[in-house]
Amino acid sequence: MTKLLAPAGSLEMACVAVDEGADVIYMGPLGFSRRPYESEMSDAAIREATAYARAKGVEARVVLNTFPSPFEYSQFLDKARQFADMGVSGFIVTDVGALPALRRLLPETVLHVSIGSGISNAADADFYRAVGADVIILPYRWGIDEVAAVRRHSDIGLEVFLFETVQTGKICPGKCIMSSYLRFRDWLEIEGKDHFYGSANRGAKECYRVCQTTWEFGVPGETSVELKLRRDARLMLAQLPEFMAAGVSCFKLSGRERPVAMIRDLVRFYRKAIDTVLGGADNLDSFTDELAELRGRWVHEKRIRVDTLMDRAKHYAT
Amino acid sequence: MFELCTDVSNLKELKQGDFSAYDAIYLGDFSCPEYPNNFSSHPALLEEGLQLVKSRGQKAYLRLYAVPSNHDLPWVAEVIDAALKLPFDALEVHNLGLLRVLREKGCKLPIHLGVFGNLYTHETAKVLKGYGVTRVYPNPELSLKEIAYIADNAPIEVLVPVHGKIPLVISETCFIMEHCDATKQPADGSCSYACTKDHWLKRGRNDGSQADWSLKDIGRMTLSGKDLCMVEYPENLLEMGFRVFYVQNKGEAPGYAGKVGAIYRAALERAAAGQEAADVAPALTALTDCSQEGLCNGYYFEGAGQRYFGRV
Repeated sequence: MTKLLAPAGSLEMACVAVDEGADVIYMGPLGFSRRPYESEMSDAAIREATAYARAKGVEARVVLNTFPSPFEYSQFLDKARQFADMGVSGFIVTDVGALPALRRLLPETVLHVSIGSGISNAADADFYRAVGADVIILPYRWGIDEVAAVRRHSDIGLEVFLFETVQTGKICPGKCIMSSYLRFRDWLEIEGKDHFYGSANRGAKECYRVCQTTWEFGVPGETSVELKLRRDARLMLAQLPEFMAAGVSCFKLSGRERPVAMIRDLVRFYRKAIDTVLGGADNLDSFTDELAELRGRWVHEKRIRVDTLMDRAKHYAT
Repeated sequence: MFELCTDVSNLKELKQGDFSAYDAIYLGDFSCPEYPNNFSSHPALLEEGLQLVKSRGQKAYLRLYAVPSNHDLPWVAEVIDAALKLPFDALEVHNLGLLRVLREKGCKLPIHLGVFGNLYTHETAKVLKGYGVTRVYPNPELSLKEIAYIADNAPIEVLVPVHGKIPLVISETCFIMEHCDATKQPADGSCSYACTKDHWLKRGRNDGSQADWSLKDIGRMTLSGKDLCMVEYPENLLEMGFRVFYVQNKGEAPGYAGKVGAIYRAALERAAAGQEAADVAPALTALTDCSQEGLCNGYYFEGAGQRYFGRV
């Protein structure tokens, strides 16, 4: 069955995503989901959102995709058990050790491997299947041939972000610690932690998206060029029919940090698109104009977000 | 007592460099298969490299390509097949899929997890141990306390980098080729080896309007601008139980590994013998002179990676 996974960066966003037709909502608890606290949710809010979703037949996942510190491992697992007791049906995780640990703790839960795991080939699918994962998320840059290659190789569930990108630049989810090398800030009281655990990869500290700001690049003494370290990904659509035919079972919409109205419109849009393909359509040309408008809004919001992060980075100590 | 190790990418560098300070050598550049005569992508060169290292009384480890795509798996398998016929002391793996490949090939060699294997927890170390991993290179974001905890709570050896630029990002395409002058590149799209010149990413220099940031780029990998430096702390590292130390050499000029290795060999031997620490100022000066952008302590003391918490 094909599922649309929608972000819930707040209780309001969770309810909107459910109402607009998401099959699954995903939420990040404070300090454990690689987002700043503004896009994470309190345990109470997760409880309320889960109840709302379940009442409408929608599944809830919790994003526990930080690399936890060794010192907080028991807390990490306790959080998972607590969310499972609330009715959360699965988790999105990155740390390899967490997969078998969660499988032992919660045998029936659904375990997604987060984009931060940096999967790059079909043999990775074998590895993650063997350590307990149910679903792996594939790189943005993969086309249908790569997706089909993994499908032939493994029966693991396949998930893709609703993004497309070019295969250049520093596109390396899970293989980057540039941001924390350059800057990070202390924890805030609201995040529920008061100890050092490093970076966005490890909790609520922000990734400053330093790859998306401008740098001077070149050889010392020669003319340099001004550039960003990677091209922006953009919303994907045309690939939906062939990805679904190739066995992709989960389509994930990003954007916990985006405005609720934007997520509302995106969930509505992709719900229609997926249902159109499920109804037998093999192209989505009729959605082109709407997609262009949404892409424009996405880029505008992203620019605001990157500017905000860079402004923050300037003001935090090294 | 302890092991001091470093890396060498190809036979030419292995023959020309001074690696006498080291107990073990990681052969190959795990980031770029196109790097000239890279051990990690040239199976025909493995035996000669291995013999040279062994003839110097050192251990030899082979680095495997860190981010293989589906298209890369066949040639990486050829490198593995060649390596498994030779008496390497270990293979270094970054990609977890390759752990499965090694298991399927019946690999009996010890396996080391490389820096891009994302080892953050003792629980992950335990899982990897089941795949034959005997040594791990912890993610650079970990503090010394966390690394010690992992070493104490997982049956696995940890490698502790003590000097050199910190690997920050790896990607599957070459950033230098993508952005260097197209008129200077081969028409067939093959590698122009522009990475033989130093390339830097800089932001905010001189005008004060932005953060003052600097990173070194070697094509498919970006390194910290500053050199990690732990020469003030050999006693502490040994007291914490660490026994394997590493100097990051990739991307450095000829002579770097030799100079840096000699300084750390002396400092670690003195500390291991329980001798009083010598004045560290001359060593710090020499190491600063070897760096282009100065020194840092990485994340070891719980700060952003480019900070230096020096005692001197």
